[in-house]
Amino acid sequence: MKRLHVLLPMLLLLCVLLPVSAQGNKAEISDEVVLTMGSWRTDDVEQMNRLLNAYKKLAPKVTIKFQPTNPPDYNATLRLQLDSGTGPDLMYARSYAAGQELYNAGYFADCTDIPGLMENFSASNLAPWQMSDGTMFAVPFAAVSHAVYYNKDIFKKEGLSIPENWEAFLSLCDTLEKKGYTPLANGLADEWDILETFFFGLLPNYIGGADMRVKYESGELPLNDRNFVEAYQAMADVAQYCPDGFESVTYNDSQVLFNSQKAVMFVDGSWTAGVYKDAPFDWGLFAIPAPKGKSTAICFHPDMAITMNTATKHPEEARAFLAWLCSEEGATTASQNLPSGYFPMIKFPIKLEDPHANEFLSLNAGRKTDARFVWPKLMNLYAPMNQAVIKVMKGDISAKQAADSVQALM
Amino acid sequence: MRGSLRKENRHIFSHIVLLLWTFVVLFPIWVLVINSFKTRLTIYENPFWIPKTWEFSNYTTVLRDGDFFTYFKNSFFVVSISLVLVTLLASLAGYALARYKSRIGTIIYYFFIAGMMIPIKIASIKLLEIMRALGLLNTIYALPPIYVAMGLPVGVFILTTFIRELPEDLYEAAIIDGASSGKIYSMIILPLIRPALATTAIYNLIPFWNDLWFPLIFINDERHKTLLLGVTRLFGQYQTDWSKVLAVLTLSAIPVLVLYLAMSSQFIKGVTAGSVKG
Amino acid sequence: MRIKHSRHFPWLLYLAPALLVYTVFMAFPLIDSLRLSLFSGNNQVTRVFVGLDNFKRLFTDPEISTRYWGAFFNTWKFFFVHFIVQNGLGIFFAVLLTQETMKGRQIYQTIIFIPTTFAVLITGYLWKLMLNPVWAGDFLVSIGLPFLKHPYLGDTNTALWAVSLVSCWQWLGIPTMMFVAALRNINVELLEAARLEGAGSVKTFWYIKLPLIKPIVGIVAVLTFVNNFNAFDIVFAMENVNGAPEYSTDLIGTLFYRYGIAGQHPIGIPDAGLGAAIATITFLLLMVLVIPTLRQTQRGA
Repeated sequence: MKRLHVLLPMLLLLCVLLPVSAQGNKAEISDEVVLTMGSWRTDDVEQMNRLLNAYKKLAPKVTIKFQPTNPPDYNATLRLQLDSGTGPDLMYARSYAAGQELYNAGYFADCTDIPGLMENFSASNLAPWQMSDGTMFAVPFAAVSHAVYYNKDIFKKEGLSIPENWEAFLSLCDTLEKKGYTPLANGLADEWDILETFFFGLLPNYIGGADMRVKYESGELPLNDRNFVEAYQAMADVAQYCPDGFESVTYNDSQVLFNSQKAVMFVDGSWTAGVYKDAPFDWGLFAIPAPKGKSTAICFHPDMAITMNTATKHPEEARAFLAWLCSEEGATTASQNLPSGYFPMIKFPIKLEDPHANEFLSLNAGRKTDARFVWPKLMNLYAPMNQAVIKVMKGDISAKQAADSVQALM
Repeated sequence: MRGSLRKENRHIFSHIVLLLWTFVVLFPIWVLVINSFKTRLTIYENPFWIPKTWEFSNYTTVLRDGDFFTYFKNSFFVVSISLVLVTLLASLAGYALARYKSRIGTIIYYFFIAGMMIPIKIASIKLLEIMRALGLLNTIYALPPIYVAMGLPVGVFILTTFIRELPEDLYEAAIIDGASSGKIYSMIILPLIRPALATTAIYNLIPFWNDLWFPLIFINDERHKTLLLGVTRLFGQYQTDWSKVLAVLTLSAIPVLVLYLAMSSQFIKGVTAGSVKG
Repeated sequence: MRIKHSRHFPWLLYLAPALLVYTVFMAFPLIDSLRLSLFSGNNQVTRVFVGLDNFKRLFTDPEISTRYWGAFFNTWKFFFVHFIVQNGLGIFFAVLLTQETMKGRQIYQTIIFIPTTFAVLITGYLWKLMLNPVWAGDFLVSIGLPFLKHPYLGDTNTALWAVSLVSCWQWLGIPTMMFVAALRNINVELLEAARLEGAGSVKTFWYIKLPLIKPIVGIVAVLTFVNNFNAFDIVFAMENVNGAPEYSTDLIGTLFYRYGIAGQHPIGIPDAGLGAAIATITFLLLMVLVIPTLRQTQRGA
């Protein structure tokens, strides 16, 4: 009669025991060490596995597992895992503030004394992963660049040439539009791309390289001076050459527009170079040109580094791997396995095989370079600047208003 | 007279309305299915019409790729065990809350209801710590306890309401017959609330099957990934192969639909057993 | 007559398994996390008790409060669209689908339910494709509807409506299913009696069916309310976590995720205290509005 009254406590017990009994087979008794590596680069599983296999030949007892998380969720998941003590042993580190925060929270290990690190990287390449007291919290891994992708076939067919300055660029867009092409593939829907690739890509042309950026950071120059207003105005001027309905064109849409020859040019980062390797047309790159009277500078941005978790159970092995990345041999192997459009940051002269990658690097020759403007010190202005650029391009506000709105937050 | 009745039974207006909605539903599904047979780029040549060349490789690579079967199995295991437990525990609790008329009962009822109102994501860190303490990290066993807990508030809410709506004389008759509360639950309540059990199960099925968040933070091990987590490896930082994603997700929607059909047949059974109210 | 079950024991036994699982894996972690609304800092090392400072920041900090109120009103709009379109259509379709003599009811009901089975990722991608003038423009022109060509998701005036309607499209299956189940449970003799009395279908619906399914209407209303105040995925899939364009689709759910879980792109430093404060306020608001609704519609609640 009271069967159910017996059954219920048993059910209760089951609820408790099921999870507990499910564990088991955890301990592996062997001297093999397995390290996990967290990353936001889901695209690079193949390349990273090649790299890690090369390392395995040197350290046969150490297996490093590459476990990337899809990028929109990377920050959130990594943070949760670190907070709860379940983070990976090795992981990609973002540059500047995002990385510094995780070092301050005690999750990134001090990498300063890893052999080769301080000697084999230039001061400017170390800086993005350095605390103000000089402590390094990661080993620099790769940088990215920004430029204008253009469809060489269409340029040839229409008898067009690479513009010398910004004014020529605008008239080039005008010519293309009159001939019935969509001049530029860029859109606003995803928000980050218009800011990071286009606005930060052209900003060094207007304000100069790193030495000038510092003056803005310190407040010596205001963020609504003539240079900035001109830069916002440049964004307003190109809006009409973006696709119809560019307000809802996503980054993926932009890539497809360029790749399917519906748009002739695309201002984008070097990381996309690999996307167009099978494109049925010839394409090339040119630097976003500076306006008349100014010199063209390049946004060459330190993007990723690798670091280790302070809580790793195998610090020796993790350090050894990082040290290998700082050696000439390790860096060369790593660079050969970087996806195209990612550039090694180590001092040794490393030859890249991909012609487009070399084309990107050649744009740097004789020019000033700098990271994306807000990254080093002004990251809190990222969102306001992003909104300002979007509003200017939609024609909601003037370039002056855009610059003022950001300066107001300084 | 007979003629007018037949006309009434044709329900022309209803059919027109429902056919309109059918179009609103099926057009996007048409877009989904045809584009899953294209390539990353050809989707955009003409997104609304059949591909020039049918690309079956999206499906064949998914089906050949053994991992997706593992993911599928994992999802299926996690979802089915969670659903069984949610409906069972929630129906027991709902029965008690409907019949247990006291202050404590009311408090417990609102304690459950409160759980619907806070996004569980906020508790992620604590849940990670609990799962680590239980040694369940990196295994699919970490998921059912959370899903059951997540499903209980809604389950208790729906089932309590349904059981409360059952007529009082049902119990009186049973108690006069000398039935224990356990017997009333299993012999009288359970058969009567089948439609509500099915509702609860279907309502929870969707978020369990399509949950990405908890697998994402709990599971790194390939062998323990769920289907949706597996799909995310098709997402790159800057580019996504949408034709493949569409193919996988088309496949992943099918089991949910089958389960829905299986469970919604409970409604029809429920009618014959449950026309007690009035 | 009311039967007294004076003993607490068996009832508590029935409740125990559910209570145990719910308390350990949900209630306790939730309460522990809401506690963080009184602290600043993100981990045990840097955590400091700050009293109600996070709540004060939420309503007085110019940047944060602008975002919060923006999201707050967007969420209400989002909710009303669901309440009217999703639940209205749901009850309308349910009435049509419970006409005993109609053919193909099961098929229609399944079709209505299909979108509900999709991962939000798919829904978002599909509708982004269909609402995008770059890809759908030529198609609209070719079927003679060029005036429909518009960047719906990029225009601050239309984006929230578009996202809300897509979400209704997806979730319509749930209220329809619940209303169908409830309407099926109504005694057929009662409806027959009403028909013989000469009541038309509108009258029957309003005076007989609706009052009888009131508890279900209450459930659906509460679930719609609660879910929409925590909604997040559809905006994430169709726009981005900022509620683009220009925060016009920012909901409490996305705001909470941005501040409390992921942090603002691209730094990604979450503010756990602020996130918990947002969740606490939402929780209180929902409780205040849900309890009276339950009292109104549920017997004995």
